[in-house]
Amino acid sequence: MLNLLVLPAFKEEEALPKTFAALDRHLPEGFELLVVNDGSPDRTGEVAEELAATFRLPTHVVHLPVNSGIGVAVQTGYRFAAERGCYRYVIQFDADGQHDPAALVPLVEACERHNLDLCIGSRFLDPTGTGFRSTFARRLGIRFFAGLIGLLSGVRVTDPTSGLRCAGPRAWSRFAEFYPEDYPEPESLFWCARNGLRVGEIPVTMAARQGGESSIRRLRTAYYVMKVTLSIVLDRLRRQEAQLA
Amino acid sequence: MTAETLMLAGGVTAFLLTVYWVRSRDLREKYALGWLAVASLLLLLGIFPELIMGFAERARLSYPAAVLFVALTLIYLFSFTVSVSLSHLYRRTIRLTQEVAILKQRLGRLEQQLAERTPPPPPAP
Repeated sequence: MLNLLVLPAFKEEEALPKTFAALDRHLPEGFELLVVNDGSPDRTGEVAEELAATFRLPTHVVHLPVNSGIGVAVQTGYRFAAERGCYRYVIQFDADGQHDPAALVPLVEACERHNLDLCIGSRFLDPTGTGFRSTFARRLGIRFFAGLIGLLSGVRVTDPTSGLRCAGPRAWSRFAEFYPEDYPEPESLFWCARNGLRVGEIPVTMAARQGGESSIRRLRTAYYVMKVTLSIVLDRLRRQEAQLA
Repeated sequence: MTAETLMLAGGVTAFLLTVYWVRSRDLREKYALGWLAVASLLLLLGIFPELIMGFAERARLSYPAAVLFVALTLIYLFSFTVSVSLSHLYRRTIRLTQEVAILKQRLGRLEQQLAERTPPPPPAP
């Protein structure tokens, strides 16, 4: 079975060619790519179509007609996978060059070896300690979410906000139906942990952003922290989904 | 003008407005029911002011405070319903946006396959 790499892209016309070049060096056969152009006002869509036409591996491009946010863009990838029905793992990978394509094969291998439903690429497990680890304030937020998720689900993770993650069929078929529309990573991870899906992490190295804008701007940080905390706490109050446990 | 006549006038206006907007199909009957209920409440309180006075007395509120309490309750309920409806609407829009995007991609792929299969038309003489 094939694996699908989903690249949500909003205003990434500059970073996309570099990201594709890096993917070209590291991706073996058996992977397909899907660029979800999230209603970008710039040439992201055209650049993606051009790259898709010549890329070594089968590459699809989906254009959301209006800008809808990262969660919606990623969920479009899960829906696409559900509709095509030929994929085993669906991997979320940032189009902006932050993520290391060399981590993709180990992510899938970790899922297969440990029978995981969700495997996260964590920038805090890297034994060499190199790579970009975000600002102090953001690291504080990440530790807070990791603590909250551990407290409420008993599952320990180090990088709950990482956007580099590989989902197995049990996780992504559910994500295709329900997925948080903004800041989706900690909440969807918590949902998996709470419902008894197997969650794991492998170390990855991340780079600083290559272009585009971070989806988390300073003014929105307070909203981000409160919204995600509320989502996680309220999700804890929902009933466990019996067919998964 | 007394508070009662004001409420009567408000109730009559609310009735007329609701009927007018439903008649021109700008307001769904579903919501019109709620608004007619508000209009009826206003009329009722206008005709029987002792209702709200009794409530004020039992709740140990002054008359204006009791009116304010009732009004704020209504406004809260209404705004909350609007928030819930907006959330439903948002979910539906998202779903439709995603479906449109995926269908468009499929259509593009089919068109491409078709173009590859059909031989180009012979040049016009």
